[in-house]
Amino acid sequence: MSAKYELQETAEPNLLDDMFDYSLPPKIQFDGPLVEEIDGKQVSFDPKEALARDLVITDTTFRDGQQARPPYSVEQQVKLFDMLAKLGGPKGVIRQTEFFLYTANDRKALDDCRALGHKYPEVTSWIRADKGDFRLVKDAQVKETGLLTPSSDYHIFYKLKKNRRKAFDDYIEIIDAAWEAGIRPRVHLEDVTRADFDGFVMPYVAELKRRSEQVPADMHVKIRLCDTMGFGVSTPGVKLPRSIPKMIHRMTHDIGIPPECLEWHGHNDFHKVHINGATAWLYGCNAVNTTLFGFGERTGNPPLEGAIIEYIALHGDQCGIDLMMVQELARYMQSIGVEIAHNYPFVGRDFNTTRAGIHAGGLRSDERIYNIFDTTKLFGRPPRVSITDKSGVDGVALWVNSFLGLEGDKKLSKIKVHKVARWVMDQYEVHGRMSAITDEELAEQVKEHLADLYAARV
Amino acid sequence: MQRDEVKERVYKVIAKVLKIATAQIEESHSFSADLGAESVQSVELMAGFEEEFDIEMDEDEALGVQDVGGAIDFIGKHLD
Repeated sequence: MSAKYELQETAEPNLLDDMFDYSLPPKIQFDGPLVEEIDGKQVSFDPKEALARDLVITDTTFRDGQQARPPYSVEQQVKLFDMLAKLGGPKGVIRQTEFFLYTANDRKALDDCRALGHKYPEVTSWIRADKGDFRLVKDAQVKETGLLTPSSDYHIFYKLKKNRRKAFDDYIEIIDAAWEAGIRPRVHLEDVTRADFDGFVMPYVAELKRRSEQVPADMHVKIRLCDTMGFGVSTPGVKLPRSIPKMIHRMTHDIGIPPECLEWHGHNDFHKVHINGATAWLYGCNAVNTTLFGFGERTGNPPLEGAIIEYIALHGDQCGIDLMMVQELARYMQSIGVEIAHNYPFVGRDFNTTRAGIHAGGLRSDERIYNIFDTTKLFGRPPRVSITDKSGVDGVALWVNSFLGLEGDKKLSKIKVHKVARWVMDQYEVHGRMSAITDEELAEQVKEHLADLYAARV
Repeated sequence: MQRDEVKERVYKVIAKVLKIATAQIEESHSFSADLGAESVQSVELMAGFEEEFDIEMDEDEALGVQDVGGAIDFIGKHLD
C-alpha cells in the first residue's frame, strides 16, 4: 500500500541548513548504522564509533606520488611538506608522510623537511622488504617504515617467484629484523584486493598480530591494506577479496588489529579511489593514505584534498584544517609545471565556474544555488562564470559585477550590461566564434561600454 | 504623456532593436513568440525603452512584461 504524501506549503524555504550551512563543506550525516552481512550474520558498523576514533590522513606524495612523475627537487619537497603541515593543522589531521631513502636527494629532502620542526606530518619511510635497507632507515633516524610484502598469488608466484610458505617466512624474517633494529614496521599488504584471504592474508596477519604482542604497543605492526590495482569495492554484499567492509572486519574483528594500526591505500583504476578511502574510515581503518591531487602510480591514489573535505564533512567541523592551503598547494604545483585539469574538483580553474546562462541566473540570485559551499571564504575562490554563447545576459551580468567588484544594491542589472552581452552574442552569431570569451576581452568591453565604472575599478 | 505617443515611441524602439517595420507590430504581440525577440534582444528592448523615455526600470518587473501592450502600459505608469 502506498503511503499518502501531502504537499507541505511553507512561508520560508527549507534550505536544510543544518546539513548545508554553506560556511563549511556540506555535512555527511547518518541516521542509522552501516550494515554488512558477513558469514551469514548482519554486522553493524556505527558511524558515531568511527567518528570517535582518531581518524587521520596519511600522505604518500613523495613516494607513490613521485612514482607517477619526474622527481621533485629537494626544495620542492620541503615547500610542499611545509604547506602540508599548515593544511593539516595543529591536530595533525595529516598525520604522517612517507619518503624514499634510496638516493642522496631522498635523504636530504627527509632531513630538510624534518628540520622545519613541524609536529605533523610525522616523517616515515618506505623500503623494499630487504634487510639491507634497514641501515638506511636507522641512519635516517626514522621510527617507522613501510615494508612491501605482496599478498596475492599474482605477486608471490609471478613477481617474487616464490611459493606462499617462502614468502610468508621471508616477510616474517624481515619484520622481525625491523623490530630488532628498533623500527616500527608498517606492513604493506600489496595487492590485497586480489589475494586469497583464508589461504594467505589471514594466517599472515594473524602471525603479525601474535608477534606484535611480544613488543611494546608503540612498536606493534601497522597494516596497510594496499588496493594496488584499484579492485576494492565499497558496496555492501560484495565478496572478498574485493569487499572493503569485509576485509576490514576480518582484520579488526577476526584478528584483533586495532583501527589505529590499520590504513587504507587505494588506486583509481576504476574511479573508486576516493569513496573507497572514505569507506575504509567508516568500517574500521583510522588512516587513509593519500597524495596531493591524487597523483600516483598509473591512475593515482586518493586525492589528499578530497580526503580533507570528506574529513570536514564527516566531522562537521574544520578541525584546525587550513583550507586556504589547498589552493596554495595547487598554485605551487602549477608553478612547478604540474598540470591540473580545469574541471578538477576544489582546485581546477573551473571547479566553481558555470557556463550555462540559467546557472548564471541562479548564481546571480543567490550564489548558494550553484556553488557547493562558501568557496570565497574557505578557498578564496568566488564562484565564476565563463562566458560563451550559452551564458546569456545573466552570465554576462554576473561576470561584469564580479569583475567590477559590485555587490548588493550596487550590482548592475542585465539592462545595464546589454551592450557587453550584445558584443558577446555577435562573436558567435556574426563572427562564428567557437571558443570561450577570455577575461581580457570582456574587460576591454567593460572599459568601452561602462567606462566610468571601469575607471573606478582601476 | 498620452498613451498614443508612448505607443508610437515604443513601436519605434521595437522596430529598431528587432529590425522590423513598425507596420508589423501589434499591441497584442508577444515579444518572443510573435516578434521573435531572443534573450539578449529582450534586454536590449528594455534598455531601448529606458533610453527613449529617460527612465530607470526595475529589471525583474520590466523583463516580466511579455507583450507590446503591456510594455506601453508599464512605461506609461512609469511616466505618471
